[in-house]
Amino acid sequence: MPAPVKYDDPVAAPELTTPPPAAPADGSWQSLYEQNSRYVYYLALRTVGDPALAEDITHDVFLKAYRHLDQFRGQSGLRTWLYRITINHCQNVQRAWQRRNIISTVDPQALDAVAANTDSPLRVLEIKELGQRIQKTLEALPDEYRLLLLLVADENLSYQEIASLTEQSSDAVRGKLHRARRAFVLEFQKNS
Amino acid sequence: MNSDTPKQRLQHRQVEEQTAEQQQTTGQQAGLAFDSVEELLRYDNLQTTPPPAIAERLKISLEQEPKPKRPWWQRLFAGRASE
Repeated sequence: MPAPVKYDDPVAAPELTTPPPAAPADGSWQSLYEQNSRYVYYLALRTVGDPALAEDITHDVFLKAYRHLDQFRGQSGLRTWLYRITINHCQNVQRAWQRRNIISTVDPQALDAVAANTDSPLRVLEIKELGQRIQKTLEALPDEYRLLLLLVADENLSYQEIASLTEQSSDAVRGKLHRARRAFVLEFQKNS
Repeated sequence: MNSDTPKQRLQHRQVEEQTAEQQQTTGQQAGLAFDSVEELLRYDNLQTTPPPAIAERLKISLEQEPKPKRPWWQRLFAGRASE
């Protein structure tokens, strides 16, 4: 089982070594929100699986970013910084929830052991229920796999940025992503 | 010149509507195929719009917040500009 990913203080976490950010000037919060809210909300929604909770998390992430903008050192992209805050906030919410509920854990090695046909395209007939099916599939995966898949789906993030966000090497990200994709396809096919 | 009777015109319209409905259903049944998990998740992301209520709540929350400090690089460049 992969080691649990630990994220401490979101705003005090070490910054990334990527090109300068598109930082919001005073008064551009609306454009900052418009450009990034879809991604923050989606990551929150698919991580916690509850639209109302995802709404609260998205609100809190932008509020936290506003409060701590002076601590944003500009060594990472602004969206990467927002993702970091989102990941930490989701984990805090999940930890609080787990304290009150018993959760069944999935063994990733068991998922790896089963052959999944990852070469064939993922076919979807019922578009209407696609979101629910994706949610169900993601929930069946280990937390780390789910997070990696959600981050890599954002084309603006490099492997290096994903590695930094998840506190591991780029090579480790590549290896785990390979297994995460297989596990996703397997679960997705099960849910069809 | 259109020599159809009102009854014939109604029948034509019903046939057209049925055809359009059938085409729509066929499109839904054909579904979509995604070459990768990332592609599927990107599509899902595009279908997922944040509720407008978040922006409204955030606007209210930000109005109650004190003005944030400027990031270090803005303070630095502002300092240099005034030198």
